[in-house]
Amino acid sequence: MAALCKWRHRLKPAVFFQNAARRQLSDKHDYDLLVIGGGSGGLACSKEAAQFGKKVAVLDYVESSPKGTKWGLGGTCVNVGCIPKKLMHQAALLGGAVKDAQKYGWRIPSPITHDWLTMAPAVQDYIRSLNWGHRVQLQDKKVKYLNLKGSLMDGHTVRAVSETGKESVFTAGNIVIATGGRPKYPTHIPGSLEYGISSDDIFWLKESPGKTLVVGASYVALECAGFLTGIGLDTSVMVRSIPLRGFDQQIACLVTDYMGSYGTKFHWKCSPSKVEKLETGRLLVSWTDLDSGKEDQDTFDTVLWAVGRTPETRALSLEKVGVKMNRETGKIIVSADEATSVPNIYAIGDIAEGRPELTPTAIQAGKLLARRLFGKSSKLMDYDCVPTTVFTPLEYGSVGLSEEEAVRRHGEDGIEVFHAFYKPLEFTVAERDASQCYIKMVCLREGAQRILGFHFTGPNAGEVTQGFALAIKCGATYTQLMATVGIHPTSAEEIIKLHITKRSGLDPTVTGC
Amino acid sequence: MARQYEEVTVRGYDEFMKAVSQRKGKDVFAYFSGSKNEQGISWCPDCVKAEPIVRGELGYLPPGSVFIYCQVGERSYWKDPNNEFKKTLKLSGVPTLLRYGTPQKLVEEECFKKDLVRMMFTED
Repeated sequence: MAALCKWRHRLKPAVFFQNAARRQLSDKHDYDLLVIGGGSGGLACSKEAAQFGKKVAVLDYVESSPKGTKWGLGGTCVNVGCIPKKLMHQAALLGGAVKDAQKYGWRIPSPITHDWLTMAPAVQDYIRSLNWGHRVQLQDKKVKYLNLKGSLMDGHTVRAVSETGKESVFTAGNIVIATGGRPKYPTHIPGSLEYGISSDDIFWLKESPGKTLVVGASYVALECAGFLTGIGLDTSVMVRSIPLRGFDQQIACLVTDYMGSYGTKFHWKCSPSKVEKLETGRLLVSWTDLDSGKEDQDTFDTVLWAVGRTPETRALSLEKVGVKMNRETGKIIVSADEATSVPNIYAIGDIAEGRPELTPTAIQAGKLLARRLFGKSSKLMDYDCVPTTVFTPLEYGSVGLSEEEAVRRHGEDGIEVFHAFYKPLEFTVAERDASQCYIKMVCLREGAQRILGFHFTGPNAGEVTQGFALAIKCGATYTQLMATVGIHPTSAEEIIKLHITKRSGLDPTVTGC
Repeated sequence: MARQYEEVTVRGYDEFMKAVSQRKGKDVFAYFSGSKNEQGISWCPDCVKAEPIVRGELGYLPPGSVFIYCQVGERSYWKDPNNEFKKTLKLSGVPTLLRYGTPQKLVEEECFKKDLVRMMFTED
């Protein structure tokens, strides 16, 4: 026993010297921070770190989609997500506005047609200007940009491969993984990979997608189907079970009802069984009605898979280095400070388990991480009450809990739900149907009635929701809402005027002024 | 020693567009500057500052490319928001260095940074 104690004491100085040696080595790393992934999170983190005078590099590499689509710096949001999506959504909305304009007195020749070949290049040009803008920004902030595919070798070493296969090795004091995700392909469906496309491709098509089948009911599926319908294309959506899983289901149905009444065709509770290419070049899709078991078929020009996204971890060599992933989702497990199971390796954005798949949270998390690593800050990212908007033809903005989640947490008796159907003033002269324009505020039943969840469907939902995100972050209550004066005439004022509860059973339709 | 690129000097919008149309299919870089007076000095102080920096990086131009040096006109012409450069080419200021037909552009103080200029000339 005594001998063991003596031995342990002798070991301590040896360990001390080892640590000192390691500290000296870290001064000799190629970079203080190496970020793998040049998307929303990666770019924000790298630029923030560079502000502290640190030596930073970003490795960004885009593996082409199965169809062959590739893009520049900026990640999903800039190239194949938020930006092109919102622009094409706007194109579709303008089509509707032009039709409404006639009721407002504008003399517009009919019929109005849309040209993909004018819209798509304009959108693509804007995206390319953003790619360039990011290049200039990185260069300006002294962040080294490398168009290389990175993978981990150990806690401080990254292997980087170029398009031509040339390899380099870099060491870094800290590594941030921000590689995001890519669309999933249902490879068990014959023909899915060869003949279908994904959101990675739709915005970069050189020709109009024509008659399109969108498979899926995620916001990606509904937003794409929405703008395709809006620009005049014959569009169908095939849904296996429910729309917008994870979102408030009452609202999700209002969103799809609106799309249905504006021309999007829905195949509910159906699942595709195969995709074949015909001699004409068109695609023949066969599917099964999951309720009846019946088989059906139809031809389309394009099949767009929007059945989920998968994290980009395959090529990172995470297991080799010991970075733990969630077995089910494949995402990297992180703690509240974005740290992974390996010291000095962090993960932010879509790649991280349990995080919202949104640009603003990735950006904020990246900035805060850089400040914690290099700026003596200890502030953690707050993922609570993150507002979102689904840019379907009828937009849906929300912040906080869905009604279902509020019931789960507080019980039906613990909450009060205020709601109203309203009609945007602009819809009146335009003779537009507003049956699905709706507002719902889920509050605690007790006391001042703190607002737990906010839901709004209607035009400009994103603009309306942003301010309420601040209110909810500040702990706003229904009492405070009642004391707030509305702006007239707007759709947003109907939120302030909410007074009918679901509990009362009264008709929630708003009438006039 | 043969230069790897072709340098063209033009004055005004029409001459610029003519030079571009005569070089279809080529990689065209254009530098727009306020016009120089008889003493060879431009009314635009930023252009005076940026020109030697841009010229210093011309060696990095890709082989077979074209460098068009364009004098836009007098200050009063430039200040008019409806001049053809602003309206049609969407220039917002001088100096501007751009790669024709692409969104690659450096405007005003960006032209002072030789690493940005070099990046544009060497980028794909």
